[in-house]
Amino acid sequence: MENVVTHTDWKDRFCELAPALVLFARQWVRSAADAEDIVQEAFIKFWRTERSIHNRGLLYATVRSVALDAIRRDGRRARREAAVVAEADTHVDPVFELEDESQRALASAIDELPRAQREVLVMKIWNELTFAEIGEALGISQNTAASRYRYAVGALRKNLQPQ
Amino acid sequence: MNDFTEIEVELKRLRPVRVGDDFIARVERGMEGADSATPSGGMVKRRPRFHINWLALGLGATAAAAFLVLIRIDNFGSRRSTAALAANHFASPIPRLPLANALVPDGLTQVVYNTRDEGVVFPSNSPEPMRRVRKQSRETLQWRNPQTGASLRVTYPTEQVDLIPISGQ
Repeated sequence: MENVVTHTDWKDRFCELAPALVLFARQWVRSAADAEDIVQEAFIKFWRTERSIHNRGLLYATVRSVALDAIRRDGRRARREAAVVAEADTHVDPVFELEDESQRALASAIDELPRAQREVLVMKIWNELTFAEIGEALGISQNTAASRYRYAVGALRKNLQPQ
Repeated sequence: MNDFTEIEVELKRLRPVRVGDDFIARVERGMEGADSATPSGGMVKRRPRFHINWLALGLGATAAAAFLVLIRIDNFGSRRSTAALAANHFASPIPRLPLANALVPDGLTQVVYNTRDEGVVFPSNSPEPMRRVRKQSRETLQWRNPQTGASLRVTYPTEQVDLIPISGQ
């Protein structure tokens, strides 16, 4: 496997991954600009230390770590985060390109998922990480990742079923 | 898992908002900056890894201090008994036993009762990702007086956080 990749490979890969990475980072911050800052910092850290672009689990772990560090570093953000954490399970802003009302309902149902489940869902659906990679990124077992995913999808399906 | 196929298809139809070209350009500039800031054309040289486990160091120092205090108490006691025996010390041809009435270290037990892998972290002072592992344990130091059989045990809880470098390759 070729580990040392060209700058262009990285750029192309980043363009593919960026929307999902920003979506992932949006779980900790409200604004897209803050999420982009986090992704930028994380990706450059990852770029400095990794010569392989295949380790997506580590890339997501880096984004998560940078997001949490940024929140701790910034007092205002920390206070805001405290408020967000207080309502953590009811509010997050994944940003989707919504085409119709059913997608709007789905996006809204995703917002209502507990953070731990939403994290796994975002990594699995929009980044196609394996449960092993998700487990590595979040510091949980593969089985826990799979179980959170099942809970998340099950909850979404239940939520969207006609009453 | 087949039950979820329909909802998974629906989820995949949801597309995250695209990012702007200016964002891509910003990251690209950052990557170039990272390259120029890194010697030897962007190839990363791993620094030798050394980190101090302050918690273990502190506990070690505490244990050493406790040991020294006990030794000192013990020396004080044996000095008094030496004075009392000074009168016949020279007369006796039998050498004095060095461990007449002393507590000597007898053992150290460490029981790790909880180990938690807290996942991959990216410490701000480290260029490399690391895995954080937290260990909770109970350590027992024991001293024993070989002559009288008296023993002293000190037990304390400890918590140790290890940052383990990971290769990620």
